[in-house]
Amino acid sequence: MEQITLLLEGFAAALTPMHLLWALIGVTIGTAVGVLPGIGPALTVALLLPITFRLEASSALILFAGIYYGGMYGGSTTSILLNTPGESASIIAAIEGNKMARAGRAASALATAAIGSFVAGTIGTVGLTFLAPAVAGFATSFGPPEYVALMAVAFTTVSALLGPNLLKGLASLLVGVTIGLVGIDSQTGQPRLVFGVESLLDGIDVVIVVVALFALGETFSRVMTGIGRSTVQPLRGRAVLSRNDLRRSWPAWLRGTVLGFPIGSLPAGGAEIPTFLSYTVEKRLSKHRHEFGKGAIEGVAGPEAANNAAAAGVLVPLLTIGLPTSATAAVILTAFQSYGLQPGPALFEESGPLVWTLIASLYVGNVMLLLLNLPLAKVWARLLTIPPYAIYAAVLMFAALGAYAAGGTATDLIVLCVLGLLGLLMREAGIPLAPAIVGLILGPIAEQQLRRALILSEGDPAILLSGPITIVLWVAAVLSLVVPVLLPMVRRRRSTLASTARTGD
Amino acid sequence: MTTDTNQQVAEPAEPEPDLSCDRRTARSSLIFGALMVVAGIVMIIDARRLPGDGSAMGPAAMPLAVGVLLALTGLWLALRSLRDLRAAVPGQPLREHAALRVAALAAVLVAFALLLPVVGYVLGSAALFVATALLLGGPHGWRLYAVGWSLAAIAFVVFDRLIGLTLPTGPWGF
Repeated sequence: MEQITLLLEGFAAALTPMHLLWALIGVTIGTAVGVLPGIGPALTVALLLPITFRLEASSALILFAGIYYGGMYGGSTTSILLNTPGESASIIAAIEGNKMARAGRAASALATAAIGSFVAGTIGTVGLTFLAPAVAGFATSFGPPEYVALMAVAFTTVSALLGPNLLKGLASLLVGVTIGLVGIDSQTGQPRLVFGVESLLDGIDVVIVVVALFALGETFSRVMTGIGRSTVQPLRGRAVLSRNDLRRSWPAWLRGTVLGFPIGSLPAGGAEIPTFLSYTVEKRLSKHRHEFGKGAIEGVAGPEAANNAAAAGVLVPLLTIGLPTSATAAVILTAFQSYGLQPGPALFEESGPLVWTLIASLYVGNVMLLLLNLPLAKVWARLLTIPPYAIYAAVLMFAALGAYAAGGTATDLIVLCVLGLLGLLMREAGIPLAPAIVGLILGPIAEQQLRRALILSEGDPAILLSGPITIVLWVAAVLSLVVPVLLPMVRRRRSTLASTARTGD
Repeated sequence: MTTDTNQQVAEPAEPEPDLSCDRRTARSSLIFGALMVVAGIVMIIDARRLPGDGSAMGPAAMPLAVGVLLALTGLWLALRSLRDLRAAVPGQPLREHAALRVAALAAVLVAFALLLPVVGYVLGSAALFVATALLLGGPHGWRLYAVGWSLAAIAFVVFDRLIGLTLPTGPWGF
């Protein structure tokens, strides 16, 4: 039980006034950007990266972790009251949650989402506390071939799972990897994809890419298509759960957590799959199945819990192997790197106190978020009445500030505009953005590990398949590419069968 | 609207994988695929001029591989979008002068960057806010200017004075 001692030391550091303040700022900003449509935690952390470089590493990371957790809480408020999910993992909660809100039960929906998020987030963080050191211990045996295989798994699963369409996910991933290649090759000093432009020699700053793809792409898209009118459901009464609601919610919270955390902590993670799964499970198990589609509370409680547990789970591969599986995790990895820290097994040994302070601050952040979201639900709901044109204009203003702080040359701005138009095209084409961010950050690391592996084997690529771990991982990578192709075929056949059966009777 | 939501509810766990039956989406995917092919070819050309360094994986290996993948995936995407385009239904109509608005917003951003050192952060950002809001269809009026100015001023105080980021100031010091 070495973890408990370390965690207690982490708490001692996290409970200092300064760190508490950063955690509070983080969760507040996180909830706000989660609530507001058009800004997500990935963009927010990216915008704050160049601004927070003056903070010490632990303060900045506590701030970012707060934004990460807060974004999950805030997203559910938007999906329940507005039916346009602020971030993609909240799509499912929007289905039942918005129906509940329309039926005048917005308060119960928000309460079950917030308490469920707290329960799942806390259990997920407990899971992180005990699983992370074990995984890190296991990962110390990993050499470059294992890392290459892990990256392959992350690449294939992120492009296959994070979007509706494997081909588009792959396209997005490749675009990200390509952008990551721009600049001087770190090993040989050769300029790549620079085309004689001097300011491209340093590569394109991650902040510029994230701001361009997310903030500019979204604003461009809104300018083109117009801002749809959406009705905010009124929130009556306080966000509390009745005895009956509680009885129906708590098993769903726990089931959601059980689905969310393990799936989130796989190197293939992401929060989308467990939320979908949790919804299906709740629907199958519910005694109130007829209520599904009309506002069943289990349909909010389960997916929201799964979402938050998965968010905690995503931190396991991030901290222990340095493998981000969501856009926000990828940007947080960049934050670590900008402080000269490399997440991975060595992080727990070299920067133990920092990691444990961070983990302790996650517990603290969760408590703060519960307090912030239950009694203040009405305040957050008021944010939704801000007219969208003002939100997007403000987003663009802060995006410009972040881009200025990140580099601020005229070339940077042209790159920003070009990538913004690329983001617009991606949005129009239905190409997901998250794989591009993961590819951008993991691409250079994958190249480095591949080179190390080949140096070890003196150029023999067979080293990539040496050892049982690499073989299992490569099989997983291939499966994650094959399954999404085969599954729709099976499903299509099944639905044709079903429809013939339906027309039959 | 009701039929739409009902459908969504009937199959929430299994979103239709093929979302590209909308004509605008299909056309954009086609353009994106074509761009990927071009970018892939450019990458291969750029990588071929890189010298080898004697090791198994020189500087050209990764760009070559990514370039080939980029071109192939782009080709695949373009061909599939072409097929989808034939069966596509017209999607949501765009706003009037949509392309012009996007171009205007890009121009506003460039103007912002060029004028920032001259007019200072607060004025520049307030102007950026107002211009973006108007392009998005916000109502014209004194409140818009007031909101833009206040937001820019708050951002200046927080980031320049409190956090210590040096933001450009105009002749008037803010």
